[in-house]
Amino acid sequence: MSKKILLEKANVENIQTMEVYRREGGYRSLEKALKMAPNDIVEEVKRSGLRGRGGAGFPTGLKWSFLAKPEGVERYLVCNADESEPGTFKDRYLMEFLPHLLIEGMIVSSFAVGSNVSYIYIRGEYEWVTDILDAAIDEARKAGFLGKNILGSGFDCEIYIHRGAGAYICGEETGLLESLEGKRGLPRIKPPFPAVKGLWDCPTVVNNVETIASVVSIINEGGDAYARIGVGKSTGTKLISACGNINKPGVYEIDMTISVEEFIYSDEYCGGIANGKKLKACVPGGSSVPILPASLLLTTAKGEKRLMNYESLSDGGFATGSMMGSGGFEVLDEDQCIVRHTLSLARFYHHESCGQCSPCREGTGWMEKILQKIEHGKGEMKDIDLLWDIQRKIEGNTICPLGEAAAWPVAAAIRHFRDEFEWHILNPKECLVRNYGLGKYAEALITS
Amino acid sequence: MAEEQKIFKVTIDNITIDVPAGTTILNAARKIGGEVAPPAMCYYSKLKGSGGKCRTCLVEVVSGSTVDPRPMPKLVASCRTNVMDGMVVKNITSEKVIDVRKGVVEFLLINHPLDCPVCDQAGECHLQDLTYSHGAEQTRYEFERRTFVREDIGDYIQLHMTRCILCYRCIYVADQLTNKRVHGILDRGDKSEISTYISKAIENDFSGNMIDVCPVGALTDRTFRFKNRVWFLKPVDAHRDCDKCHGQVTLWNRGDEVFRVTARKDEWGEVQTLSDGKPGWICNTCRFEKKHASDWVIEGPTKINRHSVISQGHYVGNVGMIMPPDPLDKVLFGRQPHLLLDIHDVSKVNQLEVHLSELEGPAVSNTFNGDPHASGHNVTDVKEGV
Repeated sequence: MSKKILLEKANVENIQTMEVYRREGGYRSLEKALKMAPNDIVEEVKRSGLRGRGGAGFPTGLKWSFLAKPEGVERYLVCNADESEPGTFKDRYLMEFLPHLLIEGMIVSSFAVGSNVSYIYIRGEYEWVTDILDAAIDEARKAGFLGKNILGSGFDCEIYIHRGAGAYICGEETGLLESLEGKRGLPRIKPPFPAVKGLWDCPTVVNNVETIASVVSIINEGGDAYARIGVGKSTGTKLISACGNINKPGVYEIDMTISVEEFIYSDEYCGGIANGKKLKACVPGGSSVPILPASLLLTTAKGEKRLMNYESLSDGGFATGSMMGSGGFEVLDEDQCIVRHTLSLARFYHHESCGQCSPCREGTGWMEKILQKIEHGKGEMKDIDLLWDIQRKIEGNTICPLGEAAAWPVAAAIRHFRDEFEWHILNPKECLVRNYGLGKYAEALITS
Repeated sequence: MAEEQKIFKVTIDNITIDVPAGTTILNAARKIGGEVAPPAMCYYSKLKGSGGKCRTCLVEVVSGSTVDPRPMPKLVASCRTNVMDGMVVKNITSEKVIDVRKGVVEFLLINHPLDCPVCDQAGECHLQDLTYSHGAEQTRYEFERRTFVREDIGDYIQLHMTRCILCYRCIYVADQLTNKRVHGILDRGDKSEISTYISKAIENDFSGNMIDVCPVGALTDRTFRFKNRVWFLKPVDAHRDCDKCHGQVTLWNRGDEVFRVTARKDEWGEVQTLSDGKPGWICNTCRFEKKHASDWVIEGPTKINRHSVISQGHYVGNVGMIMPPDPLDKVLFGRQPHLLLDIHDVSKVNQLEVHLSELEGPAVSNTFNGDPHASGHNVTDVKEGV
């Protein structure tokens, strides 16, 4: 049983209310933090080794220390709660069951970066979560944790919630800021980075929900204690939202030392593949990270056991590895069709492309059309190479990472499952009625 | 007193140039000129905030600066990236850039109709130029192209969204030149379209400039549509006294007839900067309503318009047109011939007393300044011999 930090109190009844949350030791970190110097909090977070939980895994303390601090200019903290990556639903769980944990983290983080007005940009579809957070903010204000002169420290802070309107692109930090300013959610061209010119041209820090919530325990227990959990540069705990063909889908908190195999097969976590089927492939970090066949998922190319952490999941680069990403763990069993899976992702990215820059606007639609063709038994062999070429020309040439997010799944599917694509093309009738099956992907699979 | 401006040294395609700090890579490359300057479909130096979208100007930065000589991991949009001191940039010398640019052109073209034969922009279309210089011969796109219904936005401008490459330039024009923007982008992704709010007409004194900034034939002049092809027209500079704008324009004439009026363009296809340093946008009155030669004071043929197939060869400076070296000076050895091609007048072939078998070569000019080099050879031989 690994240590729980974030979700420790998630099952306490009525933890959403201030009364219960306080009784369980809530808002201790705020009282402690307000007595510290803001820079010491940043140092503490740096020492903890906390990495951004939104997907990129950038060290949070470092991000905070990059924040420009010109005289007389407001600074802003924005919490990115626009969790829209297919397969990722950890932030929703956190906000729904532990709203005060986020609010507490927000106030502490606002104090650390010097933000008097902070925002939570929440996904539009999370309507009921917005109500929960609103109630929590009201309670916090009544308790004197928000507003003017918090707990007599002289620090003022207000938190506002802004609901998105259903665009994936607004989860990209500069697209989010544009949307927050009331404009079209088009990502900005960087540089300048938000740390210099963010919301309303002021220095801004944008952090994921889980990142901000993690700050609470870092302040409570100290950065060093947090850094002792986990392994290497993957410190602390990580929320994983597991879904797909597993017995126990849900949100799990792991301490990043467990292996992928344990995560999938142990009863504490996913509880194995559903219906006694076999594992075929897995997207370990949200839909935009490369898909891995079972053989490469459980062991790395070097033959080592793959662990659930930043380094191990990306071991081998994109040739034989993947990424931790946002923690959306999607499991595919032997009955799943990789072409169809790739198509559904390509359709998503086509639909969500903002249309600002040409490679993504035109390329995502083109990839979807070709995949439609292959999936419906009308593909040709040259289409596979064409797909590969299109994704190659999108990746890295767009304004924001959506281009990469759209290109990686297609690239990885072709890289690891090319024979399944070829089978689709060679058997145009058969592919309409049955799936390719397990293929050779699970040969090296350890079945226990 | 203003702080002294720092000068940065930047090397683009092995050519080093000094530029003031804050210059973008693209503008530094334009100072060098020619093919070193990356193509730009969305960037427009006179429109604030434009650029970064089309991705045709991507370049490779092989060395970030003298202080931090690491290369940049991705190709960067040269129109929105400022130079650093000691930066080394590769544009056409980078295979990666050429490859990616070919890809971008392909992306821009997959939904662009191949209607150049009936498009008014043909002949001065930036996308045509770009495709010619960087595109592939054939498309690999085999699906139906995106189409839209043509829309008249006001009396003067027609929007043909099917041709649009979504460079956003016209939106910046509306934002920055006119006082009320009534058009923008609707929808998102490849469904996005430029449109006015519920087919509202664009009525503004400077709205016509969005025709000039449009790199393709998406926004066309309704007073000129299908009247003529640009390459049949002669551009001449002209001016008039206008109370709305400076009145300095280019007239596109055929004979005495003025077919259309545009702003004056510079070598990059952008509106020229006037002597007072301001961009030469023109008003709708000048553009659409003054279509008689008598309305204008003609100054003379337009000097630069690289982006038109016509332009009468009046190129000035280095505008990307590289002429083949003229070998004449070399073969003449500094002589000044009175007449080079008077061969037949004095050719031995025409002299009855000379038998043809005595001739070593074809026609020879004895009056070729009397130079011994010339005898026995014709001019072509001399050229080749040198």
